[in-house]
Amino acid sequence: MSYEETDIINIIIAGTAGQGVITLKRLIEFAAQKSGSDLVLGTEMHGLAQREGAIVSHTRYQMKSYQNPRKNLQSPLICYGDADLFICLEPVEALRRGIFSSKKTTFVLNERTIPGVMITADLEEYPSLNEIEEILKKSSEEIYFINATQLSLDKFDTNQNMNIIMLGVAIATGKLPFIKTEHYEQVIHEWLRDPDNNVQALQLGIENGKQLMRKEHV
Amino acid sequence: MIKEDKRFISEQGEVLMLGNEAVVRGCLEAGVSYAAQYPGTPTSDIGETFQKILREQPDLRKYLIHHWAINEAVASSECAGAAWTGCRVLNPMKHVGLNVASDALSVIALNGPNPGAMVILVGADPGSLGSHQEQNERFYIWMFHFPCLEPHTPQECKDYTKLAFELSEKYDTVIELRTSTRSAHSRGYVKLNPIKKGLSIGNFERNIPKFNSLPPHAINNHIRLYERIEKIREEIPNLNINRLIPGENSTGIITSGMSFGYTLEALAQLGLFDVPVLKLGMIYPLNHEEITDFLAPLKNVVIIEELEPFLEVKISEIAHKHNLEIEIIGEEFFPKYNEYSTGLVASCLAKIFQKRPEEQMTTSVEIFNSYKDKIPSRFPTFCAGCPERATLYSILKTTNNMENTVICGDIGCFVMSFFPPQECSDLIICMSGGLSAAIGISEKTEQKVIAFIGDSTFLHTGMSPLAEAANYNSNVLLFIFENSWTAMTGHQPVLGLTEKKLSIEKICDAIGVNWLKIEDSYHPKRLMKSINQALEEKGLKVIIIKRECALQANRWRTSQIRKLKKEGKKLQEVYFHITGCQMCYECARILSCPAIRKTEVDGLETMQIDEDRCIRCEVCLRICPNNAIHKSIINALETEVHFREL
Ligand SMILES: Cc1ncc(C[n+]2csc(CCOP(=O)(O)OP(=O)(O)O)c2C)c(N)n1
Ligand code: SF4
Ligand code: SF4
Repeated sequence: MSYEETDIINIIIAGTAGQGVITLKRLIEFAAQKSGSDLVLGTEMHGLAQREGAIVSHTRYQMKSYQNPRKNLQSPLICYGDADLFICLEPVEALRRGIFSSKKTTFVLNERTIPGVMITADLEEYPSLNEIEEILKKSSEEIYFINATQLSLDKFDTNQNMNIIMLGVAIATGKLPFIKTEHYEQVIHEWLRDPDNNVQALQLGIENGKQLMRKEHV
Repeated sequence: MIKEDKRFISEQGEVLMLGNEAVVRGCLEAGVSYAAQYPGTPTSDIGETFQKILREQPDLRKYLIHHWAINEAVASSECAGAAWTGCRVLNPMKHVGLNVASDALSVIALNGPNPGAMVILVGADPGSLGSHQEQNERFYIWMFHFPCLEPHTPQECKDYTKLAFELSEKYDTVIELRTSTRSAHSRGYVKLNPIKKGLSIGNFERNIPKFNSLPPHAINNHIRLYERIEKIREEIPNLNINRLIPGENSTGIITSGMSFGYTLEALAQLGLFDVPVLKLGMIYPLNHEEITDFLAPLKNVVIIEELEPFLEVKISEIAHKHNLEIEIIGEEFFPKYNEYSTGLVASCLAKIFQKRPEEQMTTSVEIFNSYKDKIPSRFPTFCAGCPERATLYSILKTTNNMENTVICGDIGCFVMSFFPPQECSDLIICMSGGLSAAIGISEKTEQKVIAFIGDSTFLHTGMSPLAEAANYNSNVLLFIFENSWTAMTGHQPVLGLTEKKLSIEKICDAIGVNWLKIEDSYHPKRLMKSINQALEEKGLKVIIIKRECALQANRWRTSQIRKLKKEGKKLQEVYFHITGCQMCYECARILSCPAIRKTEVDGLETMQIDEDRCIRCEVCLRICPNNAIHKSIINALETEVHFREL
């Protein structure tokens, strides 16, 4: 899919508290600013929702705006079905935000599950990754799973770089048009603790993402 | 994450900011010299931003003060006090905070803030995204006559803040800036202008009629208030604050704030590009001529606003008074509850304009509805190692799962106790409402009555019901969670307590509490013994759970570990492992720590501890009835890093 500069790009980032959803969202927004985007707007959650709960953020940008305000990015919330990209740091969180997805949506999902307390208490069931994929396939064709938590543990000895690896995978899908890798790298240097590792994580994600895309398209 | 935030230092350029950050930037540019607030989503991060700026730029402290106040009523009155010395002051609060502040504000509104200026920032919360309810607090605007500005983008958050201060100063009137969870926490571009230093030293000048709104001055000040509002009403067209997007359609739309964005995008979704839209930047007062000019050529007007009709009432009144023949459409098509979105507004407008929404939108809703019931729930729950969760465990055990027991919940992280699997809060009212309700329940039942209160809430409004309970010796067991932080809203300090300047047990003693114990919920056996004793006694009993919030405690310990490692110290490492798990679910259903998960080893189900989420509080290990949870220590002879003592 190719994008026009006047298109509005819509990204859902979903996960659970503490996984780094908000950091990822800010990185994309600041990188969009570096890329010279005319409009950037997005929303994040603070407060109550942060205790082990489900977290979602909406990120939107538009490289070139129209003279007519009626065609421009005006709301920080994405409309139902209108997301171009889902970055899911926890797989079942993709389903929770499914209303924002449609044919045009590409999903990248971290395979590592975080079952809520109701699952551990055996009062509810957690679907398998296959079941999750089957459900997502009802609306979308581009669904990529990757074990980013494991990649982070293997390479950095901590799960803390998982979110940046996932960003790399997302970049490889081409669904974050007009923002260059250098823009992300600059933002990482300006805003994150331990920038060198994070830049490495980004590269690792991009490489793994590219491999995934190749496999799927053979 | 942030190293040094240039966005609050630069004098020019364009930066990305959250709505709340833009408000703070607006304050800097407007020369604000005082701000005070009690935390509450979605306004807590305004205070955090002020605090951060003052930490990073200590020289500013001479010109700018930010106080975490003890409650909203105190915050409003202290802000008024500062304004009366000539300062420009900002007083943020969440929508329910306005209930607490209202008594003070009803009088401050009459007096007026001059010689300074006072802006109250009220964070609404349609959809209850960060609150216990979603009250439509806009009706206070009518009651107290607060001219009210409602921004949509972060840029407007900054611009309206500055305008609010100008109006407040010029018209001696308290101005309200009304944000919502969405506008406060949306990020977008903001253009910067030069920063102005606030007043460093002010002066209070006596003016008995102005500052004593009692008869006869109360009536005169009421008259004066009306005069000021009328002047502002006349000035609206010159303020350039209401925005018209013209169109030829005979049905128009009036909207404000976040709804404006949803409306424009919804119209685009429906392919309706000719509908005239009036966006009100000021939602009270309204300029009649401006409204009638917009309505005159129209057959219908749709009012789009979240929650109960507010604009709709006033616009209907204007149309009626001016004998306009126009149909006013609103609440019959739009819900009066919950948050709006582009999708929702589009589906309501589709009915009004008899249009089909885009297929992409309708199919995505249909598909989602086909599987949404299968999505496992993920309620917010206590963090791993939370001392409040561990207390609930001990209560559930000692009361035989709440048999013949009423648990009066309250506001704080432990509001989450009503969620399954623990489900142990019978009621919630408001801050300190739990203890107050317990007084009434205990007088009229023979059930055991337990009440909860957090430390910040105790200081906010909790001392008064405790004094009453002590006076009547109410048959209540009160748990005070002394976790040292205002945790739920993001860990602001508990005034006086975090800095160790006051003592809750001494306050209890002075109030006349005769039965008091201090316990640590990380030691369930001891705690359960105390609870059993307390439940056998008649009258008022207080147990203070003294244990730092686990999230903060773990942050502190992690930073200690990082520091010590940097110094080259060898440290103990603690691991937990589970062997011989009988799958009794004691840790999963009654304690329900989120660091514990179910897994399979060699085909057998067992519980397992997620190392990276466990904070090593050791509660699960102490309660496991099968002694299946074991602790092992590597480098046992080296330095051990404890949690800090309160
Ligand atoms: C009148 C009012 N003001 C503010 C809030 C926001 N609020 C919700 S929970 C909470 C924190 C209470 O802190 P504390 O009592 O210490 O309990 P903890 O969260 O630490 O358990 C606050 C301020 C509110 N709900 N009502
Ligand atoms: S933030 Fe602190 S008090 Fe709140 S749930 Fe987490 S550990 Fe408990
Ligand atoms: S020690 Fe047990 S109860 Fe405490 S945080 Fe770890 S898993 Fe949870």
